Amino acid sequence: MSGGLDASRIDVRIDGRLIVDGVDCTVAPGTFSALIGPNGAGKSTLLRVLAAVERPERGSVEFGGDELFGLPRRQRARVVSFVEQDSSTELSLTVRDVVALGRTPHQRLFSDPSADDDVIVAMAIEAAKVGSLAERDVTTLSGGERQRVMLAKALAQQPRLLLLDEPSNHLDIAAQLSVLGLLRTLAESGVTVLAALHDLNLATAYCDHVIVLRGGRVFAAGATSAVLTPALLSQVYGVRATVLEHPRTGRPLVAFSPLD
Amino acid sequence: MSSLPRILAVGVIVAIGLSGCATTSATSTTPSSATPTSTTLDNCGTTVRVPAVAPKRVITIKSTSTEMLLALGLGDRIVGTAFQDGPVPAQWKAAAAKLPTLSPQVPSQEVVLASEPDLIYAGWESNFSADGAGTRSDLAALGITTYVSPAACKEVGYQPTRLSFANIFQEIGEVASIFHVSDTTLLTAQRKQLAGIQKDKRGLTALWYSSGSSTPYVGAGIGAPQLVMDTIGLKNIAASVKDTWASFNWESIINANPDVIVLVDASWNTAATKIGMLEGNPATANLDAVKNHRYITVPFAASEAGVRTVSAAADLATQLAALNLT
Amino acid sequence: MTGAVLAVVLLLSVTFAITIGPSNITPVEVWGSVLHHLGLGDSPLSLLRDGIVWQLRLPRVLTAAAVGAGLAVSGAVMQAITRNPLADPYLLGLSSGASLGAVAVLLLGIAILLPVAAFLGAMLALGLTLLLASSLGRITPSRTVLAGLAVSALASAITSLVIFWTVTGDSYREILNWLLGSLAGARWPAVEIAFAAILLAGLPIMLSGRILDAFAFGDTSAAALGINVNRTRWTFLAATALLTGAMVSVSGSIGFVGLILPHAVRLLVGPRHRALLPLSAVVGAIFLIWADTAARSVFEPRELPVGIVTAIIGAPIFAILLTRRRSEA
Repeated sequence: MSGGLDASRIDVRIDGRLIVDGVDCTVAPGTFSALIGPNGAGKSTLLRVLAAVERPERGSVEFGGDELFGLPRRQRARVVSFVEQDSSTELSLTVRDVVALGRTPHQRLFSDPSADDDVIVAMAIEAAKVGSLAERDVTTLSGGERQRVMLAKALAQQPRLLLLDEPSNHLDIAAQLSVLGLLRTLAESGVTVLAALHDLNLATAYCDHVIVLRGGRVFAAGATSAVLTPALLSQVYGVRATVLEHPRTGRPLVAFSPLD
Repeated sequence: MSSLPRILAVGVIVAIGLSGCATTSATSTTPSSATPTSTTLDNCGTTVRVPAVAPKRVITIKSTSTEMLLALGLGDRIVGTAFQDGPVPAQWKAAAAKLPTLSPQVPSQEVVLASEPDLIYAGWESNFSADGAGTRSDLAALGITTYVSPAACKEVGYQPTRLSFANIFQEIGEVASIFHVSDTTLLTAQRKQLAGIQKDKRGLTALWYSSGSSTPYVGAGIGAPQLVMDTIGLKNIAASVKDTWASFNWESIINANPDVIVLVDASWNTAATKIGMLEGNPATANLDAVKNHRYITVPFAASEAGVRTVSAAADLATQLAALNLT
Repeated sequence: MTGAVLAVVLLLSVTFAITIGPSNITPVEVWGSVLHHLGLGDSPLSLLRDGIVWQLRLPRVLTAAAVGAGLAVSGAVMQAITRNPLADPYLLGLSSGASLGAVAVLLLGIAILLPVAAFLGAMLALGLTLLLASSLGRITPSRTVLAGLAVSALASAITSLVIFWTVTGDSYREILNWLLGSLAGARWPAVEIAFAAILLAGLPIMLSGRILDAFAFGDTSAAALGINVNRTRWTFLAATALLTGAMVSVSGSIGFVGLILPHAVRLLVGPRHRALLPLSAVVGAIFLIWADTAARSVFEPRELPVGIVTAIIGAPIFAILLTRRRSEA
């Protein structure tokens, strides 16, 4: 699949244990996909490999036809950006400073930020809706506020591939919808987005495709409504699942109950 | 917590007994009970009972104690020497050659005890410590008499406020009394030699340079160096520091620009090394004494208060008289 | 703005610190002498007193400035790269390692240059500290400091052992002063070593400080920004080891400058390293100039090792930093 993300036969071993086991997955360009699966399925580890911040034991990760691990680091960081699940700092940087870090791969070692950089940082702040926080000390923000700042930093990298690990964590419902909506918009503007999500209803509401991970392997992948069937969900999560139709949007809505 | 490494470093150095009494100093000005006939001596605050029988197995630590016994003709009582500062003068060479060496530095307690001494005679108070030759009370409990050069007492009331020859002569008397021998011959010789020293009349200033390169370690205002300089008519530029020896600084030395430099000559830090250092450093190369090579030297072993102080003064007076200041 | 003010303060500090000392030389005479050596006019002082200014005070003050700058920059870099506000060359064992290297050369007569030996000692100690800290599990500030303490203790013990075996007479005294950190021996060769280190290691570090900002959110975040985390970390750490090693070789191990000054400067200009590093250098220079001036003039004509002065000021501040981190243990 040219243009999109194409990973094949990824193995990751941590302390001798195979955490990601022969994963093949693709994300079409300009789409928003969800990576789902129970805790310990290997979602975070797989995302780190796809973001090329961790080398797999085996396998290749291509984006737009380029092997990511073959690209020079700075060039790669102008293509891919990655939002970690929890990131914190001890440094009392302002939100604007933090977002400006996203410009790092676009700058030379000894040079100062250019006027372009300032404009792009301002746009990223605007897009992530953290304008009111711009001059705040990042160490004083709530978890949700910080999450959005980290998203703004990732946007300042101007990536074509955006990977996010649980971006809706720490967010209240309105903020969840707003962040997911933003990711959707980004995808529509051509950015390829893949996010690990816990909340399946966010996946069904916003994502074109899902990749279901279980035990380090891809259990299923495909269009959201085709993959997230009651049978699959009960197999993967060990619960009874019912798929309804959302009364307003018409998209699938998942409800759970314990197995008998 | 961060000072721990430093404490460790200091600790080890103290442990080898190098530290502490480097600033040797002089006798009690209040010789509480020190006449040859008394049966106890107040030695740096420790009461020392004069043994009924003269000691036969003596360990001497530091050169001053060894040389004191040699001067009193008691070399045959020495069963071991330790921490000697350098060779003894020619007249004692033969006697000294026979003496067994226990340790190049402060011996440990076990080494000391293995020699079965009845008296340990130390040049520095710090030689008697748990990690050195043993504390004085521990040794006393084992029936071993201990004695420290009174000039080296550090306690207030015992450290001489300004060392004099009376302090040194007192030590000669005390040691003679411990061994039940007469001090008359030695004292007479010392007094005679002292009386023969010609004081320099030129009013010269001097630096007594013992060691150190970045921080010079010099003879200060109250110890043997001051006594010797007073005796031969030199004005000590570090006289204002109320210590026997002290860390000084080059700026004060250059500012004082002494007429003469007294160099302490030790095997580990020779007079020639110090001359090289003075001449090699642009800051000190222009000192009058350095430019005109006005040096007089004293062996390290003679630079501490003891039976060699008089002869050291006489020797330095001769060297000084030979210096031509034009 | 802050930078300009601090640069002026540094210049004034050098200018005034050289007028202070045991001998009575007026500031005008001091400056006259310095100008004379810079090729302007005659010295108002006699040859000897001129030597006090040009051979003793000026090289010492300049060395203090360079050492202060180097240590402060090293501290700031280590704090960034280990994400540890308690990091400094002294606490993480670099200083002790450098001391060991230097003492080994001085006393055992190993045929390598003093600064090189100090650098190798610093590198070795740093490597050991990080290895030990990582073997305790996830590297945390407290673990790193503990590991540094262990490495420091080991290096100090070996240093003491070397001294124990080799010292003769009273030569230990000077080594002791040096271990405590002293600028008493700083002459022009010391100035050359210290400034060469600033130029070769300090300046590149300061200019590339922006990269350190990318470490603010940890290694993964830095990697995602296109930074070669391992290479960058080790390059910076090697550069700080070089800087620390050079400084230790001229001044012994002076503690706390690297720890507290970056914190003070962060309060002034914020945590961005592009500004933090150069300003830490300037403030470190100012601080050590005055600490050393106090060390050499308060107890005149004797002097105190400057490491004692910096520890007396620094240790309480270290304690405050520790209590502020109470919640994280």
